[in-house]
This record gives sequence, C-alpha cells and structure tokens, in this order.
Amino acid sequence: MTALKVILYIVLLAFTVAAPFLFPDFRTQLATLWLMIVVSLTWDMTGGQMGYNSLGNIFFYGTGMYVAAVISIGLVYDVAEYTSAAGGGMNDFTPVQYFTGVGLGMLGAGIFCALCALILGYILFGLRGPYFAIGTLGVAIAAGELVSNWEWVGGGQGITLPVYPADLDEGKLFFYFLFAGTGVILFIFLRWLYGTRFGAAINAIRDDEEKAEAMGIHTMRYKLVTWSMAGFFVGIVGAISAFQLISFEPLESAYQTINLGIFMVVCVLLGGKGTLWGPVIGAIVFHVFKEVTWNYLLGWQWVALGALIVVTVVYFQDGIMGWLAHRKPEWFGVRVEKNDATEGADR
Amino acid sequence: MKILSAITACLSGSVLLFSGAAFSADEAKQINGCEALTLGAAISLTGKYATNGIHAKNGYEFAISKISEAGGINIGDKCYNFDVIYYDDESKGDRGATLAERLINQDKVQYMLGPYSSGLTKAIAPVTEKYQIPMVEAEGASRSLFNKGYKYLFAVLSTSEQYLASAVALAAEKAEEAGKDASSVKIAVAVENDPFSLDIRAGVLEDAKKFGMKAVIDEKLPRDLSDMSAILTKVKLLKPDLLIVSGHSKGAATAVRQIGEMKINVPMIALTHCEAADVTGKFGDTANDILCSTQWAESLSYEDALFGTASNYEQEFKATFSDYDGKKVPYQSAQATAAVYVFKDAFERAGTTDKEAVREALTATDLQTFYGPIKFSEAGNNIAKPMVLRQIQDGEYNVVAPSAFASHKVNWPREAQ
Repeated sequence: MTALKVILYIVLLAFTVAAPFLFPDFRTQLATLWLMIVVSLTWDMTGGQMGYNSLGNIFFYGTGMYVAAVISIGLVYDVAEYTSAAGGGMNDFTPVQYFTGVGLGMLGAGIFCALCALILGYILFGLRGPYFAIGTLGVAIAAGELVSNWEWVGGGQGITLPVYPADLDEGKLFFYFLFAGTGVILFIFLRWLYGTRFGAAINAIRDDEEKAEAMGIHTMRYKLVTWSMAGFFVGIVGAISAFQLISFEPLESAYQTINLGIFMVVCVLLGGKGTLWGPVIGAIVFHVFKEVTWNYLLGWQWVALGALIVVTVVYFQDGIMGWLAHRKPEWFGVRVEKNDATEGADR
Repeated sequence: MKILSAITACLSGSVLLFSGAAFSADEAKQINGCEALTLGAAISLTGKYATNGIHAKNGYEFAISKISEAGGINIGDKCYNFDVIYYDDESKGDRGATLAERLINQDKVQYMLGPYSSGLTKAIAPVTEKYQIPMVEAEGASRSLFNKGYKYLFAVLSTSEQYLASAVALAAEKAEEAGKDASSVKIAVAVENDPFSLDIRAGVLEDAKKFGMKAVIDEKLPRDLSDMSAILTKVKLLKPDLLIVSGHSKGAATAVRQIGEMKINVPMIALTHCEAADVTGKFGDTANDILCSTQWAESLSYEDALFGTASNYEQEFKATFSDYDGKKVPYQSAQATAAVYVFKDAFERAGTTDKEAVREALTATDLQTFYGPIKFSEAGNNIAKPMVLRQIQDGEYNVVAPSAFASHKVNWPREAQ
C-alpha cells in the first residue's frame, strides 16, 4: 500500500466519524447510507466476486430483524403475549434490558443468518445463473409470507420494539455508529479477503466453475462460506434496522424484496460489479440520488429511479468503476504498453 | 461530452431546487387573514389504502376550511388557520415512518395528523413519540396502538374490538330466539393480515368465546385483497351462522362482489368499511341485509357548534366534494374532521402554541362533536363514543344495534340475493 493510499484511508475514516457531527440534520439518512453500503458490499461478495447473482439476500435482512426482535423481547417478556393482536400491554424496558437486547440481538441475528445461508446454500447452490437468482428470490418471498402468517411473532401486524431509552440525538448517533462500524469492519475484512487465496478461489468460480473444480477447488464449500459470511453481515444490519425503525412488519419492511432487495443489486451494478470500491460508490450515488428525488421530485421519484436504472444499464454496463477503469486504466495500476496490453490487475 | 452536459444540467437543477426550498422557509405565512399553524400528515394517496386515505384527507380539508370560514383558531389574542403539509406514504409503513421524520426534521412540523390505517399509525407513532410531537389520529383503531405507553398519541375513534361485538351478540340473540343455544352458533372469520383486521379478529374471537361459539373458519384474506373465493367455497361447505369479513375498503368490495357471484347464503354477514367501499352503489341489491359496523352515522343525534348536526355535516360535506354524490359520506371522513376539531379545541384551551401545553390540553379533552363525544383515556383512545352497527336494507343503511341507537329491526336470516 502506498503512502498516498494510507492517507486516503485515514481521511475517509476521519470523515466517517465526523460526518454525523458535520451534518447533524442528516444523521438518519447517513445511517441508512451505511446500511446500503453494507448490503451492496455483501451482495457483491456472491454477485460480483463469485458470479452468483442472488435476489434473495433480503431474506437475511428480514430474518435478522425478526431474530433480533425476538431475542430482545424474549429476554424480558413472553414473545407471544407481547406481539398479540389485542396487544400485550407490556412496554417497559430498562436501559440495561434494552442495550443487552440490542447487543445479543445483533450477534444472534448474524449467527442465525449465517447458519440459514449454509442450509439454504446447500440446496440452492446447485442452481446456476438465472435459476439461482429466481430460487433465492423465491426463498425471500416465501419467508415473508410464512412470517406474515406466524402469529407468535405478530403475523401481518409485525412487531413494535421499544423506543431508544435515552436522549434522541444520542440515539441517532448510536445507530449511525452501529451501521458505520459494521460497514467499516466489513470493508476492511473484504479488502483483506479478496487479496487471499480464498478471494482468488471465488473469482475462479465466477470465471469458470468447472475449471475451478477441476483444479481441485471444493467449489461448494467456498460458495457456502462466502454466502454465509454475507448472510452474517446482512443479518447484523437487519438487526440494527429493527431497533432503528422500532415498528416493522413482515412484507413491506422486513422482507422487502422489491425495495431494498432490488436496490442493493442496482447499487452494485451502478458502482461496478466485482470491484471493492464499486458497491461503496454505487451505494453512495444511489442513496444520494434517491434522497434527492424523494425530497424534491416527490410524485416522480419512481420515474427518476427507473431512469437511473435505464441509464446505468445502457451507458454504464460495467458501473462507475468499470467506466473509470476503461477510461483511466492508469488509476488502477494498469500499465498499457504499446505492443503488449496486460490485463487489469486490481479489478 | 453529452453525458457530461446532462450531469451538469442535473446538478444545476438540483441546486436550484435546494435553494428554492431554502428561500421558501416560512415568513409567517398568512391564510385568510390569520397566521398559518402548520400540521403534518403522511397519508395514503396511492397504494392499497388510497380510497380511505383520500376519504381521510377530504375530512381534514373540510374541517380546515370550515374552521377558516368561522374565523380560525383563537389562541390568546391572535388568530390562526391550519395549514397541512401532506405527503403520500404509498400505503407503506416504512415510507410513512420516513415521511414522519421528514415532516418533523426538515419541515419542522410541531403537530401531526394521523395517517390512514392502524398499520401506518403503528409505524408513525413511535416517530412522533420519539420527537414528542402530539399526533391526533382518526384512522388507527387497533388496540395494539394503545398499550405501548405512548403519551403523544390521541385517537378520536373507538378501538377495533368494538367494531363487530354487537354482530356477535346479535347472532347469539337470534339463535336463542330460534330456540337454540347461543353456543351452537358457528362463526366464519376472514380478515386481512394487518394490525386493524387482526385486532377485529381477536375481538370477535374473544366475544365468541364468551358465548361458547365455535369458529369453523379462521382465514386470512390474500395480500392484494382481490380474491376470496377459496374461503367462500369453504363457507358454502361448512355453513356457518355468521360470516365476518374485514379488509378495509378493498376487502369489503371483494367480499360483497364474490358473495353475490357465488350466491353465498349465510344467515348473517357482517363487514367493516361498507360505506367507504360504496358497496350499495357498486353492487346494488347484492349488498342487502349485510351488517356493517360504523364509527359514526349521519342519522345519529350528535351535534356541535361548528359543524351542526351529524346530518348537517353530511350535507355540507357532499356540497363541498361532488365525488360523494349519491353515496354515503364514510365515517373515515367524519372522524378525520373530528381530529382537526380536537386540535382546534386543544389549541384554544391551551392558549399557546407550545406543544407541551397543547399535549396537556389534549389529555383534558372533553368535547361534544357532530361525530360523537370525545374524551381520551390515559392510553390516548377515545372512550366516550360507542360503535354502531347498521344493516343495508333495500339499499339504505339503517342502524340496528346497539338498541339505544337502533332505528330499525334487523332482517334475519339473510337470503342470498
């Protein structure tokens, strides 16, 4: 790593810490931005690096929300009574109970989702290409329907969690740093992971799975581990979202296949598939675009979003990073020599 | 190059929009000679609750113009008029919560009017509670809203378990008249999978349990509420004595349409949201003898100084909004109007626009309105006003229960139309 890069990373980290204090009115939006970054980065783990386009990663988000909610409620009350349609009338959580719930909820959600990914992956990774995409989408939709009919967790009415027990602004910072912390850890982890043999192996699976297998890579194991790592992180941000949203229901907030479930794919396509920075840049551009249109073009926001997707697909098929790599290969450490053009090294 | 210029155009466009928004920041806006008092509302103008969202919005607007005509709200020695910032929540909870944050943080709204449906109210109430913004809501009836210890939530309507309690009691009464035991009554319940309808179901099942009745069908309507024929086939086979359907306007319309198409013959059918779905206008005779729960009826003898009697309200409302010609004014509009009226009353009693003082005044509300008496429990729900049950008799909505309000006798058993 060059000195310039080290400085760049330090500046970015400092900005991450300073952002909620620089823009205090936008703390919630900034927190959501980190959520988008995390789901995009995790989507790219399988979609970009391994060549398995999942449309069902939202399953981990929804499941994370529910697992965390059930854990944090279950520590204090009877879950069925708390979530009953007639209302259990139990809403007292001491700060200690609340924060224990958040901590254990996040951890439990991450672990549970990682396990789910192992089990589901075992079934689904037999599918390739569009079949894998549709299969995973089916899992997410089915899970939403199942949960919405499961009375123990409140069925279609969802769950209402307690409000953050202390000061309001402090609460916003709390959730911002939970999201941002998860995002930073994930980024550092992936930066390391993609440089290891593991990273090379999943790239090999993307490029030619048969050949990878012939080379002696146990492809199923790599696929399962990759997806479960993705599931772990999505589960954690799902858990944080549950506490941040307070009230959520299964079909439109938890297993929201058509919103966040698609947005994460759009972010990655926009930023550039299979790159480390692509999902981050895509998430930032997408989120800013979405917030601006939802605020200033209300009524036309879906049209604007559709236009963005069309423009991305037509003009930036490789995403922003891909476009840049094409225009400015020297930025990516690629030296173009007169006679012997080498392949991109850092892609 | 083209792309570059397009991007520049987009950027300069958004800069213009930003600066436009900054300049419009309030210079004490005047409405009808009085200062504007801004309320915020996220309401379903699109999506599955759009019909009722628009009924509610019309109710708000009607109240605001009536208050303005009558000289506004007098706080201290100044007069004010309500000005509402509306956003479309697309009938989605998370969208509603985001918009509530936006109303409070960006538009600096200090008071909120409720959205449509219990589900949306459940999503928004934690936000208003978090920011300590008083919200008077008129369209969220689920009991699960009133046991969370919310201090800034006030609801002018009766809670959902009361909607169909008198239908269950009526079924028991009819069974006993026929010489059978009340516990012999078989009930079929089909509800939407949302907080409101699930609480309707919980209320009905609690009441049924009291009489020892059995629920032979207990199903959820499909998510888009457009087809319940599978459930009705079951109804044909199991022949319940009472069929209960609750799924807001769309559910009511689907139920009446398919009950007619499939010639379902159940002695007693009870629905919610008949008027809002305009089932008599859409399906004519098919809707006959169906029982409909209502929060309010224009034939009731409630009145107040601003809106006059309930029937006067209906006439003026119809005169203002031509969409309601030949239809019933749904109670969703009436209660939305009542919510604005409650705010006016609280502001005037508080004598200030300080939101804590207004919240205090709201808790002490004890108001007679054209919509019925309004008085809030500690939890924020209205405990003063009863629900009524109407039956569609020859295309007319006649009150049949509870007996204190009944103007007509109930037609029983219902024949397939």
